[in-house]
Amino acid sequence: MAPLAANRKRKQNVEEASPSSDTETFPAGGLDLLSEDEDEQENGIVQESDVDAFPEIDAASDTEEEGEGESSGDDAKFSETEDEEEEDDEDASSDDDLHVFPKAKTVISDITGQPKKIYPEIEPDYDSDSSTEDAPTRVGNIPLHWYDDLPHVGYDIDGKKVLKPARGDELDKFLHTVDDPSAWTSAFDKNTQTDRPLTAEELDIIRRLETLENPDANYDPYQPTVEWFTGAGKEEVMPLSAAPEPKRRWIPSKWERQKVMKIVRAIRQGRILPSKPKTTSSQPQFYAVWNDEPPSSHVPLPAPKPHLPTHSESYNPPEEYLPTAEERKEWEATDKEDRERDYLPQKYSALRLVPAYDQFIQERFGRQLDLYLAPRIQRKKLNIDPDSLIPKLPSPNTLRPFPNYKSLGFAHLRGRVRCVSISPDGAWVVSADDEGVVCLWEVIVGREVKRWTLNQKVGAVEWCPRTDVSFFVVGTEENLHFYVPPNLTPTVLSATKTLLNPPNLPPAPETPSPVKWVNSPSASALEAPLLSLDLPPSSGLAKNIAWHRKGDYFATVSSGGGQGAVWIHQVSRRHSQAPFKKIKGSVQMVLFHPLKPHFFVATQRYVRLYNLAEQKLLKLLNPGTRWISSMDVHPSGDHLIVGGYDRKLCWFDLELSDKPYKILRHVVYHSRAIRSLHFHPSYPLFASSSDDGSIQVFHARVYSDLLTDPLIVPLKILRGHDVRDGLGVLQVRWVPKQPWLVSTGADSTVAVWCH
Amino acid sequence: MAASSSTAAPPSIPVVFSTKTMYQLPSQRFMVPASWRRFQLSQLINTALALPRVVPFDFLIRGVLLRGSLSEAANSEEETLEIEYIESVLPPSRLATLPHEEWVSSITCSVPGHFLTGSYDGTLRVFDRAQALLHTAPLHAAPVTSFAITPSLPATSDDDLLVVTASHDRTAQISRVSLDGAHSTTSTPLATLHLHDTPIADVASTRDGKYILTAGWDGLIGLWSTSIPEADEVPLDAVAGPERKKRRKVQDGGSVKTKAPSAVLRSHTARVSAVKSPSSGGDAVSCGFDSTIRTWDVERGLCAHTITVSEKPFLALALPTAETTALAASADRSVTLFDLRVGATTAAAVKFPHAATPAALVFAQSSGTQFASGAYDGVVRVWDVRSATREVANARVWEGQKVLALDWAGETLGVAGEGGVEIWRAGVGVEGGLQKETSSAGDESTVRPPPTQQHCLCGFCPTLFVHLLDFLFRGDVRRQACSLTLSNNLSSHP
Repeated sequence: MAPLAANRKRKQNVEEASPSSDTETFPAGGLDLLSEDEDEQENGIVQESDVDAFPEIDAASDTEEEGEGESSGDDAKFSETEDEEEEDDEDASSDDDLHVFPKAKTVISDITGQPKKIYPEIEPDYDSDSSTEDAPTRVGNIPLHWYDDLPHVGYDIDGKKVLKPARGDELDKFLHTVDDPSAWTSAFDKNTQTDRPLTAEELDIIRRLETLENPDANYDPYQPTVEWFTGAGKEEVMPLSAAPEPKRRWIPSKWERQKVMKIVRAIRQGRILPSKPKTTSSQPQFYAVWNDEPPSSHVPLPAPKPHLPTHSESYNPPEEYLPTAEERKEWEATDKEDRERDYLPQKYSALRLVPAYDQFIQERFGRQLDLYLAPRIQRKKLNIDPDSLIPKLPSPNTLRPFPNYKSLGFAHLRGRVRCVSISPDGAWVVSADDEGVVCLWEVIVGREVKRWTLNQKVGAVEWCPRTDVSFFVVGTEENLHFYVPPNLTPTVLSATKTLLNPPNLPPAPETPSPVKWVNSPSASALEAPLLSLDLPPSSGLAKNIAWHRKGDYFATVSSGGGQGAVWIHQVSRRHSQAPFKKIKGSVQMVLFHPLKPHFFVATQRYVRLYNLAEQKLLKLLNPGTRWISSMDVHPSGDHLIVGGYDRKLCWFDLELSDKPYKILRHVVYHSRAIRSLHFHPSYPLFASSSDDGSIQVFHARVYSDLLTDPLIVPLKILRGHDVRDGLGVLQVRWVPKQPWLVSTGADSTVAVWCH
Repeated sequence: MAASSSTAAPPSIPVVFSTKTMYQLPSQRFMVPASWRRFQLSQLINTALALPRVVPFDFLIRGVLLRGSLSEAANSEEETLEIEYIESVLPPSRLATLPHEEWVSSITCSVPGHFLTGSYDGTLRVFDRAQALLHTAPLHAAPVTSFAITPSLPATSDDDLLVVTASHDRTAQISRVSLDGAHSTTSTPLATLHLHDTPIADVASTRDGKYILTAGWDGLIGLWSTSIPEADEVPLDAVAGPERKKRRKVQDGGSVKTKAPSAVLRSHTARVSAVKSPSSGGDAVSCGFDSTIRTWDVERGLCAHTITVSEKPFLALALPTAETTALAASADRSVTLFDLRVGATTAAAVKFPHAATPAALVFAQSSGTQFASGAYDGVVRVWDVRSATREVANARVWEGQKVLALDWAGETLGVAGEGGVEIWRAGVGVEGGLQKETSSAGDESTVRPPPTQQHCLCGFCPTLFVHLLDFLFRGDVRRQACSLTLSNNLSSHP
């Protein structure tokens, strides 16, 4: 209620003030003329009190009204004084529309008696010159901003200050806008220093300016055109010149043609493209923003710097850094991680009294751990296709022939078929099983033609590589038996007999050998062995027989171990000798070098290469396998493959190194122990068999120059043997002269694999 | 069926039939539904020719045997298909089993009324058609690998045969087998042929009966005349060991003469696995493990021609009648047809892939295009030379036992191998059919006139011929009804 009451009071004041101002208009003006000092004083009073200022405002406003009144009074005066002229004006007013300029009236001058033109008086009306407008305040035509900071706006004609009309404060302004409905259409007039309501024309101009129209309401943008020079009846009929039409008006222009032809030529030659071909570059290019990895501008964090020592870490810190007893107790009570500091300041009087830093190891360890667990090395990740790192191997199809299917199988009755051997002419196979049955059969038909029953476990069987004689050796428990195949030509048969059972025995050596060479009494029968060797007792099963390429010597390995494990027998001299006095480890296999008088001995871990002629060790090869199961030497004699029970195959280049050139491991190779290895005598092939029941065939090309590495390509995995009791394919042998493979399995079958 | 055809209306293909058999159709274009298969086409031919009994046919489109429907074989529906039809081969059916205890390495069915088998126990056995064992001749101590019968016998009787047996004991033997009767069949060894140092793989005789060819494992081919020498041409001591000499003396009474070859054909570098003599001329063809096929001029003893291929050790050989081609089986599971006139023939060779090692090959006597192959998996496959992708028919003779020899005479297919001997019936067309009749007729032209003036053949259906003509020449309006009617008349063929 209070503000409302105040408003009301204020209103009343205004209402009271305004009539009083009306009444006091002229006296105020009169009073003003009295003294300037008072006026100043009054002005000061006016400044002090708003109430007193109101009459001033009203006076100013009244002066305007007065001005208007005066102007009307002037008009009245004017009309009074110039009645005659007014009549003329009235006469002329009818002609005002027709004549722009005022008509001069010719009168006879009273003085001269001459006629003179008299123009009508110029009405200082609204549309007359604004300079003639009488100012509402008679301060003159001055820039009003001079008085912006002053309470008056200038001086009137009498030299009195014309005070600015009092302006209400913001509240009054607001009330004014609320009370007066025309307040929003009024504007502040600087000349009069009041708010003046805008006329309808002005509002219309404002509206037109807001709508971007022409501010003149009478402007008509669509006036009909006034045809001054054209149109009907105004045509130019006559030519301007009598000159005849020039020729160039009606012949084609030579220069234009030349210009056009220049462009045409340029188009033909392609210098100008008539229409630019729409390429993809002209079309907007789209690309996946997120496809590319953002540039790895990620800078790795720098390693945190170790803290610099502070005053409290000094060996002799000031006393205030030293912890009190309570602090020390509290420090010791808190856990190590929770401590604010990981040390207690200690004071030593001299540096030499400082003990060793007891936290040194822990601190170093902590820092190393920090560096290790938050590595700050930026690792470059290489984008390499892993397939491109695989060496390019030729396709197996280009390396034909190699065995790829099981052509036929030969079944033993029972027992594991441990060993097989193929005659040097490649026609006959001898296979022997654990039951002591030795079978002779054709390679290509698989028909058994002869069978020997030994009633002894057979460990090895091997044909003599000679072609002029034909026999094979069967190794059993502490015995070696020499058998002759049937259907031999008489010459071969007699040669074999004379070799194995010579009519006059060669002289016995000086040192009697423990191996006895015994001829069977019935020399003619094929059933019994033609010759038998009795190895020394407790030498065990002869598990390996290796022939020298010339067919005179052969070496055997017995499973008994010890000194009598390895024997080298000479058939022609009927003599056996143990080449090694002492053998480290149990011998697994022996081999003769195909070309040189060298001898390979594979023990459990190592392969030793001996020179038999010079009786010395040449090489010690370490394949790195835990237990060597088999080995074979390449026909060139420079390469050796060694297989182990730990599923590893090592390829040795004997010229190159004592270390394996290549190792095949079980990830890509046999999944169980390797049982047998064999190089093909003529084709670049080797095969390996394993307890996983599979045979793997490899292409192994060896180059004669020392620069090119051997090429080893896996060709084929042959599966067909069953695994019995953890034993798979026990031996593989190649058929000479054909890329065929013969394999024996623990499932008592022998298979022939053809290409 | 009729409803479906009337609603679907399958597209038709214009076809023209041709044949080299005696079953000739008039040359005319037929519109045949594209969905037709061999069976429908065979029915069409049978119906069109009105054959008294059903003859199943196979169809060759551009030299390839039709296996699926016509739409698969045809390029487009507009193009006229030229279809050649041949009498189809029935799958062989088992006739009889000749019991053997040993593996049988060779068999012949060409002796009328008898079967001769050579076995791995070294004996030659003679059976008659009633599967009765007539005679067992223990000619060799080692397995008999092959035997051959010389066509012309210098002996007197017609029932006498001159049989040459080859064995693992490195010799071949000429024996006379007299087929007089059930109880009087005898065999008499006449001469032993001594050349080879190794077992003999194959023996053959030329068709004119002048020469015998033996192929040995040592790469030699021995050429022998069929004459029996008066005295030993090879000294007996050089030939055999003392024990064998003793045995033969005991057995034969010293009447067996040794015989030396008249020529030795040396070109093979490895085992000669088979030698054959073509039906015409006195030449010979051999193949071996050295991947060569050699043609021999027997009279001069020269190698006339050599075909060398890479890495194909040949195991068996077969020659068609009067052809310049040779069929050879190799250990890489393929049978290859070679043109003997061309040298290195990789382009001209047609390969017939097998699932196992083929070890025996024989051509059908009656046709030059069909042959049988026996493999180590115990399956006998019948092939057509014109269809190399798949066999025409097959028969599983044994389960996992090897087939080692085949002979095919007429419709009798003798299969010898690991399981003994089996006699199967296999052949072209219908058993005892028209082919035999016309061939027996001799002068009668083999080309039967086209059935232009036919009366109704089935007897009980007077309107059938009308249907037939409609069916043949007008198209498919009443085809289904007609074929239904016909199917009463025709026995269905699988």
